[in-house]
Amino acid sequence: MSMNAEASTARPRPRKRVDRWRWGGRIFLALMLFYTAVPMIWMLLTSIKSGFAAMQLPPQWWPAEPTLASYQKLLDPQNSVGQDFLRFFWNSVVVSTLTTALGVIVAVPAAYAFSRFRFPGRNFLFFAVLLRNMFPAVIFLVPLFILMRWLGLVNTHGSLVVTYLTFGLPLSIWLLKGFYDNIPIQLEQAARIDGATRFQAFVKIVMPLSVPGIIATAIYSFIGAWNEYIYAYTFLSKNEQLTLPVGIQRFFSENTTDFPGLMAASFMMSVPVVVLFLVLQKYFVRALTEGAVKH
Amino acid sequence: MARVVLTDLVKSYGSFNAVNHVSLTVEDGEFVALVGPSGCGKTTTLNLVAGLLPITSGDIVIGDQVVNDLDPKDRDIAMVFQNYALYPQKSVYKNLAFPLQMRKLPRDEIDRKVQEAARVLDMTHLLERKPRELSGGQQQRVALGRALVRDPAVFLMDEPLSNLDAKLRVQMRSELKRFHHDLQATIIYVTHDQLEAVTMADKMAVMNGGNLQQYDSPAQVFAHPANMFVASFVGSPAMSLIPLEAASANGTAVLTSAEGWRLPLSPINARKVQNAKTRKIVLGARHSTIKLHKSAVADAVPAKAYTVEPTGDVTFVQAFLSGAIVNISVPPSVDVAPDEQIWLEFDQERMHLFDGETEMAIRAD
Repeated sequence: MSMNAEASTARPRPRKRVDRWRWGGRIFLALMLFYTAVPMIWMLLTSIKSGFAAMQLPPQWWPAEPTLASYQKLLDPQNSVGQDFLRFFWNSVVVSTLTTALGVIVAVPAAYAFSRFRFPGRNFLFFAVLLRNMFPAVIFLVPLFILMRWLGLVNTHGSLVVTYLTFGLPLSIWLLKGFYDNIPIQLEQAARIDGATRFQAFVKIVMPLSVPGIIATAIYSFIGAWNEYIYAYTFLSKNEQLTLPVGIQRFFSENTTDFPGLMAASFMMSVPVVVLFLVLQKYFVRALTEGAVKH
Repeated sequence: MARVVLTDLVKSYGSFNAVNHVSLTVEDGEFVALVGPSGCGKTTTLNLVAGLLPITSGDIVIGDQVVNDLDPKDRDIAMVFQNYALYPQKSVYKNLAFPLQMRKLPRDEIDRKVQEAARVLDMTHLLERKPRELSGGQQQRVALGRALVRDPAVFLMDEPLSNLDAKLRVQMRSELKRFHHDLQATIIYVTHDQLEAVTMADKMAVMNGGNLQQYDSPAQVFAHPANMFVASFVGSPAMSLIPLEAASANGTAVLTSAEGWRLPLSPINARKVQNAKTRKIVLGARHSTIKLHKSAVADAVPAKAYTVEPTGDVTFVQAFLSGAIVNISVPPSVDVAPDEQIWLEFDQERMHLFDGETEMAIRAD
C-alpha cells in the first residue's frame, strides 16, 4: 500500500515534495523494522515448531502444531540438555553480573575523578582510555590468551570478567563522565559546607543524581558481557564453564542440529537483555544524549 | 556570629594571582559586600573563606580560629549559591534538614529548627515540594533557609540575587537587608552589581584584578573613591572622568584641555593639583555635581550634547568634553537637543582629582 502511495506522489508536482520525503522515510523505517524484527519473529516461531516442521520446504509460516516441547526440554534439570542449558545460563549470569558490578565499582569513581579533578596527565589518561576502542577486539585475542595463561586464569570465569572489564570500562567511564559534568559542582560544595566530607557529598548528593548514568553503564556492561562470543570461545574449554553464546553453539552443532531447540535457547538468551533494556531504556537514551546539549 | 579576618590572602594559579594580597576585617554582625567586575577575584575570595579552594598563602581567621587548613564543614559557615544549589532529589524539608542531619542533631530538634526556618521564611506550605516545583524566588528562599537553619558563625553569599528577575531582585534585596538586621548576622556577600552592594552592605570591598581597591562604607566609597577604577565602578550612571593637564595661571593651578579651554580651581583643588607628581590630571565628577548651562557662564567649560535620555523625574544628558563622555543629570524641564552647544560648571566641593599616571585619588595634604 505504501508503494502505491509512493507512486502516486512521485508525479512531478513540486508542492508534494514534502510528502514524498515523508513517505520515503516511512518506507525506510518499515524496511528497517522488517530487517530487525523478522529474524526475532522467525526465531520465536521456529522455537515452537517440532523438529520436522522446522525443516520443511516451503516453510510453515505459522507452525501447524505449536509446541513448547523445546522449552520444556531446555528448562528441565532432569535431562542432560536441560542441565547443560541451565548451567550455561547460570555461568552467563555469573560472568555478566560480576563484570557489571565490578565495572560500575571502577567506572563511577574513575568518571567522577575525570570530571572533577585536574591532575597531571588527566587528558592523556582520558584519551588513553579510549585507545583500546580503536582496535578490533580480535587483535587482542592472542596476547590476552598468553596473558591469561601466564596469570593462570585460562578456563576460569575470571579471565572473561577481566577481559570484559578491559573492553567495557572505557565507554562506561566516558558515559558516566558526561553525567558528572552535568551535575553542578555547587551541589557538592553546598553539601561540604553543610557538614559533609567530600566522600559523603559524593555518596549522599552526587551518586543519587547519577543513578540514570550508572544504570545505563550497567546495561551497557551487562549486554556486552552477556553476548560476547570470541573470548569465551577461546578462554574456556571445559563444558561445565561455558557461557551461553558458546554453549549454545557448541551444544547444538555436536550432532544433527535441533533447530527448534536452538531457537528456543536463543530466545531465552535474549530475554534478560530485552527485558533489562525495555525496563531501563529511558535511562540509557538519557545517558547517550547527556552532555549533548547544555541544560 | 563571629568576625572574619583575612590577612595578606593570596590565591595563585601558576604565576597568576587570582587573589592578590588581600587583607580585610569583617566585624561581628557586619554585612560586607565584595564587589567588582567578573574575574576580579571576589568569588575566589569567597571560596577561599569557605574552604572550597586551598589558599596559596596568607591567613583566614573566623572567630578566634585560624581556618586555613580546615574542611568547609568544620568552619561553621553557611553559603548561598548563585544557582541556589538545592539538592534536586530532596524535598524542601529534607534540603533544610540536611545540614542538621550532617551534624547529627536529634530528630525532634531537626524538625523544630526546620519548621522554625520555614515559618520565618514563610514557606511552611512548600516543605513537601521538590526544588524543581518551585519558582525562582521560592528556590532562593529555600537556599537562604538552608543557610539560616544552621545558625552559622558566618553567612557567605555568592551573587544570590542575580538569577532572579528584576522585580523580585529588588524585593529580595530588601528582605535580605531585613534578614541581616533581624539576625545581626555576619555576612560576606559577593556581587558584581554595585547597586546591591551600596544598598545593602555596611561596608563594601571593591576588587579589581585580584586586588582590593578600597574597603569602606558605601557612603565613603561613593564620596571618596580611592582611585579611578572605584570612581567609575561605584555609582550609576558612572562618574565621568575627564583627562586634563595641570598648568598655572596668575600664580595658581588651573586645568587645561586640549580643546583650548581652562578650568579655574578652588584653593583646595589647586593645592591638590600642585601636590600631584604629574601634570596629567583626571577630573572626576558625578552627574549630579555638574551644572548644565545653555549659554556661556563664568567658570563653565564648553561641551557638546551627544544623547538626551529622559527617565521621567530626571533627564540624563551625555556630552563630549575634551574627548571624554560626561554624564549630567538635569531636571526634565531643561530642554537640550543632541549636538547642541552647552556649558558645564563643576561643583568644586564635590569634584575628584586623580593622578593621571597612577590613577590614584590626589590628596590635599
